[in-house]
Amino acid sequence: MLREKKSFKISILKNVEASLAHVDANFFLGKVCFLVTGVGRVNYCSVEMNAIWKLGEVYCSPVLFCELELEGIRNATAQRLLRMLQICAGHIPGVSALSFGTLMRNSADD
Amino acid sequence: MAEYLAEVTNNCVSPEDAKEELLNECESVWKHMEECQSKLLLLGTETVLESDVKLSLLTMRVKALTAEYHQWQKRSPELISTNPDVLLELGKEELQKVKNDLEMVLSTIQSKNKQLEEDLKREQQWHKEQEQILDTLTGIEEETKIEVQQLPNTRAFQELQNKMSKLRMYKEELLDALGEFLEEHFPLPERGRSAIKKNSSEEPAVELITLNEILEILIAKLMSTPHEPYVTIDDSFWPPYIELLLRYGIALRHPEDPNRMRLEAFHM
Repeated sequence: MLREKKSFKISILKNVEASLAHVDANFFLGKVCFLVTGVGRVNYCSVEMNAIWKLGEVYCSPVLFCELELEGIRNATAQRLLRMLQICAGHIPGVSALSFGTLMRNSADD
Repeated sequence: MAEYLAEVTNNCVSPEDAKEELLNECESVWKHMEECQSKLLLLGTETVLESDVKLSLLTMRVKALTAEYHQWQKRSPELISTNPDVLLELGKEELQKVKNDLEMVLSTIQSKNKQLEEDLKREQQWHKEQEQILDTLTGIEEETKIEVQQLPNTRAFQELQNKMSKLRMYKEELLDALGEFLEEHFPLPERGRSAIKKNSSEEPAVELITLNEILEILIAKLMSTPHEPYVTIDDSFWPPYIELLLRYGIALRHPEDPNRMRLEAFHM
């Protein structure tokens, strides 16, 4: 069975960018989501926010920010990811991964 | 429960038949899925070009979206099943789901309302406290005003006033003496060569001011705005006098701007 979705923890940006080149292009039609952790402590960020945003832009995929230590945000992000997984696996009738991705993109750009 | 049984006996289809029907449907859908899966596997994988990632992804998106769009256009609503039992069960499930969702929405909104009410109460409390502070301060202001009005009657105040007037007179004397001294020893350059000046291009456009006036300007600026003691030098300041003041440490240039200077703070 094809894997429905991948989430990347961006600890080292170059690794991620290199591995993205090997991913089947069909995944990027709404089945890929970038998950960024450790956004709370601004002084310890090893990756530029700009670079992350650009990555999301170039690969036409949404970027989710999460602080793993805080329970509330952790739970909320987990629920969001589960929802996206449900849609990508086709469990929600009438909504395809592509249409959902387009929906998220349009609302984010506005 | 009794009505359900009555319905069942009235229909020609029994619950077992309904189950059969559903299972058959599942089988056919599963077979369809297997065919699609094998077709997908045959398509193989393609990776994205490094050079033009966004462009290739966007073209792919366009293709996929148009394909999906056509697919949606072709589709027409199809009956899930004609079996009333199945429909009943499905209906119940849907309504249950809707009920759960609405309950969630209700609880969210209720908690939000509570939050807003708490915020409102907090803000009102703060507002009340601020008003109290304002009232107290106005009261204190009133009292101090009354006190100030009574102040001139005390003797200490009178003595202070005398001292002030004496100091003022002394200051005037000093300034007059300074003015006379400066006029005598540091006059303005004389304009004796007026005939020659008409031909030369070095005609000062602005009238020069005396050294006394320069010093007055500097002192006034320092005393009125001690945080901003710099005065811009314009053409009315005679350059040699500026040099004089700078060389003897009476005035200082602005560290970054050569056109500004200030009086040295002798009083601090």
